[in-house]
Amino acid sequence: MVEIEIDGQLVNAEPGEMLIAVTDREGITVPRFCYHKKLSISASCRMCLVDVEGAPKPQPACSTPIADGMKIHTQNERAKASQKAVMEFLLINHPLDCPICDQGGECELQDVAVEYGSDVSRFSEGKRLVAPSDIGPLIQTDMTRCIHCTRCVRFGSEIAGIMEMGGTGRGEDLKIEPFLAEGITSELSGNMIDVCPVGALTSKPFRYELRSWQMNAVESIARHDLTGSNLYAQTYKGKVKRVVSGDNDNINETWISDRDRFSYEGLAHEDRLLYPQIKVEGQWKEVEWSVALDYAVKGLKNNILNSRNAQKLGGLASATATTEELYLMQKMLRELGCENLDYRLNVKNLDKTIHLPSNIKLAKLEQVDYALVVGANLRLEQPMINHRLCKAQLAGAVMNALSVKEFDFNYPVGNTIVSPNQIASTLAGVLKHVLEAKNQEIPEYLSTLTPSSEATDLANALLNSEQAVIILGEHVLNNTQANSIANLITEIAKHSNSKTLNVSATANALGAQRVSFTPNSTGMNVNDMLNAEMSAFLLLDVIPEYDFHHVDSALAALSKEDVFVVSLNSFGNELVSQYADVILPMAAMYETSGTHINIDHKLQSFSAAVSAPGEAKPAWKILKVLADLLELPGFHYESSAQVLSEVAHQSEVDHEYDSSINLDEATPAIETIWMHSPYQTDELLRHASSLQASKIGQMNAASMSQATADVLSLKSGDRYLGVPVDITDTTADQCVFVSSNQATNMGGLS
Amino acid sequence: MIDGIKKLAKNLTLSELRSGMKITAKEFVNTKITVQYPEEKTPISPRFRGLHALRRYPNGEERCIACKLCEAVCPANAITIESEMRDDGTRRTTQYDIDLFKCIFCGFCEEACPVDAIVETQIFDYAFESRDGSIMTKERLLKVGDDNEQVISKTKAQDAKYR
Repeated sequence: MVEIEIDGQLVNAEPGEMLIAVTDREGITVPRFCYHKKLSISASCRMCLVDVEGAPKPQPACSTPIADGMKIHTQNERAKASQKAVMEFLLINHPLDCPICDQGGECELQDVAVEYGSDVSRFSEGKRLVAPSDIGPLIQTDMTRCIHCTRCVRFGSEIAGIMEMGGTGRGEDLKIEPFLAEGITSELSGNMIDVCPVGALTSKPFRYELRSWQMNAVESIARHDLTGSNLYAQTYKGKVKRVVSGDNDNINETWISDRDRFSYEGLAHEDRLLYPQIKVEGQWKEVEWSVALDYAVKGLKNNILNSRNAQKLGGLASATATTEELYLMQKMLRELGCENLDYRLNVKNLDKTIHLPSNIKLAKLEQVDYALVVGANLRLEQPMINHRLCKAQLAGAVMNALSVKEFDFNYPVGNTIVSPNQIASTLAGVLKHVLEAKNQEIPEYLSTLTPSSEATDLANALLNSEQAVIILGEHVLNNTQANSIANLITEIAKHSNSKTLNVSATANALGAQRVSFTPNSTGMNVNDMLNAEMSAFLLLDVIPEYDFHHVDSALAALSKEDVFVVSLNSFGNELVSQYADVILPMAAMYETSGTHINIDHKLQSFSAAVSAPGEAKPAWKILKVLADLLELPGFHYESSAQVLSEVAHQSEVDHEYDSSINLDEATPAIETIWMHSPYQTDELLRHASSLQASKIGQMNAASMSQATADVLSLKSGDRYLGVPVDITDTTADQCVFVSSNQATNMGGLS
Repeated sequence: MIDGIKKLAKNLTLSELRSGMKITAKEFVNTKITVQYPEEKTPISPRFRGLHALRRYPNGEERCIACKLCEAVCPANAITIESEMRDDGTRRTTQYDIDLFKCIFCGFCEEACPVDAIVETQIFDYAFESRDGSIMTKERLLKVGDDNEQVISKTKAQDAKYR
């Protein structure tokens, strides 16, 4: 700590830290454009010039390190004069089109110009004009307004990991533009809108709609992935009009993914369910809430409760639901004496599920020196987790991926591409090598195994690191050896002192686990339910063609004549209308209060930013009233916070897990891994039109190797399960990796 | 007693009547200042703040670019604007309402407008026949502008040198 003097005020600061960081901390205003606390320093705008005593010229505060006894003036004549001069210089080429600029009202240049600018321009020559470039459906560019602060460029290379924008030309011809005609493809691109100090990069879906001062900002939590990014939903007249990022250094720093930023567009989609509906003699009828709820209660009573056979009732929920909704639903079902409930709809085999605790915090991820990513396209599936790894990599960490396909990470990754049935044996090889290196006893199941050279390499990298993390992703969820893979990772982590991170179940899956939204030993899991003789189902936000792994059997089970189905949905869906008997319209994201549990096991509650459209109601209220009408005790909640406090008082149930490792299981000749495009993972995203129009939203390919294509007798351009075939040598043999923006092709998957 | 005689003399000579008639005679030949409203109207300052109008450019394009500065500056919150990107990519209003019951005719909207789109005309004699008549919609405002463009541009020109 050294003492410096700023504007006559004595301030303590760390030697070497930048002056602007100190003035920001002390609340002293220094104007700036190119400086951003989370980006590197470029000192290119010169707006933050201050007068440092003893220096021959004014110094930029953003790149002047603190030294003992410094005396700084931010407001004296010299500082003011240089700031004024820089402002005049910046305004030479900046168009005065604030009235039609979307940044107007929240523009850093506008604000600073009011304070430092002159009211008359001395520049009478023509202004620079830059031809517009289309960089995709999310970001609107108007590069004539650019002041070359290069925040977006630095964001691209340092945070998004790919430098898609850059400066070309020199002097007055310097243009900030994307290098490729296809525009910006980063999954974090929306943050460029936030970092741009002027109106050069603005939100395209929001274009020309509102001024910043017209909206209310409501703090909320993103619920599309395991991060639970903090954000603000900006609302106007009861509608969410824009989403901007919030600050939380432990979770999302100051960035949010495009998925979190633009998903709000789905809220206004015409498919929204506005009124309760009941099916009378095969015809759908919009009715009052009381009628629909009575109909639902009567149906449930007739089908199961009157015959005292609650075992024939099943409850299925999507993991996108809030913790409160899941808690109320399981409480209701259990009060009815029914133990059939599940949220793991997309898991093929629930007898052997993945159990792998995450024991590293998000913020610590950027400190690892080695990461092994098993079966995950982390960049698109968990963008903010990947961002932390990207930071770790920039700091020198080594990254490896063990996967069935080479994915496009935004940092260098050593890929080990193996067939789905080889993942377990490769990990077993890693474990064996680790055990050998540590002179530990080799368990029986590893005795005959000879580690492959790839496995030894992975093991050596792991052994050479001090802080390693092994990440298990979604692609192994339906691997026949899924539980062995998870258990092998647990063993490897134990013996190599590594941390583990389980990203195989996303959204609020941890919330569902917290409230035990899984059957105990007496109940049936989802796959058992679909094959059993059921009489009634209660579905929470379930969309069959996307959510179920066994779509066909799900549709068959739900569509049976004598099965009564009550479905809570926020969007209309044809298949739901086919099998449901009552559809209750529920509030979507931003319209309900609740809690999301993120990968750090942090409970983050949010309130409703807007009310739901039409007659739609928050699901926790619907479930509460339904339980009241079923005359169940203990459902007199007045708010979702009351539900949460009850959840907090419940102790977490420890389930027993199968920790066996079996490497000899039979595996199918060709395994299909079906992943929905990252912008198709929940109902709101599927209705967000700009996201769907983006490069990532358009992803639709069944990748396979030439050998696999030969076995299936397919050519490039053919369709496999309705998805265009892409023959590539970056996919392992015996495997088709589908990344699709369509619903699961029914009948194609077994 | 003396007062009584004076009063009597005044009455008998009709002096008050004569001084009154003198004024009548003088005004009879003086210039008339009574204006025969509504056939005649008093002259109005070019800065008069009457009924609002939205103007167009000579090529017929509406001036308003939906910057919403008038909405922001309006002290009575009388202006409501909704905007969008028109098909040709320009920024335009889809709704531009002024509630004349709320409006206090301060002229701030006119001051704030960067493109001289919203103006206050010299029209002050208007009436509503229904309650919602007080809402001047975009169509009505443009109509007022179209009908009075000549006067508006003349008064703007007259006032321009003082701005």
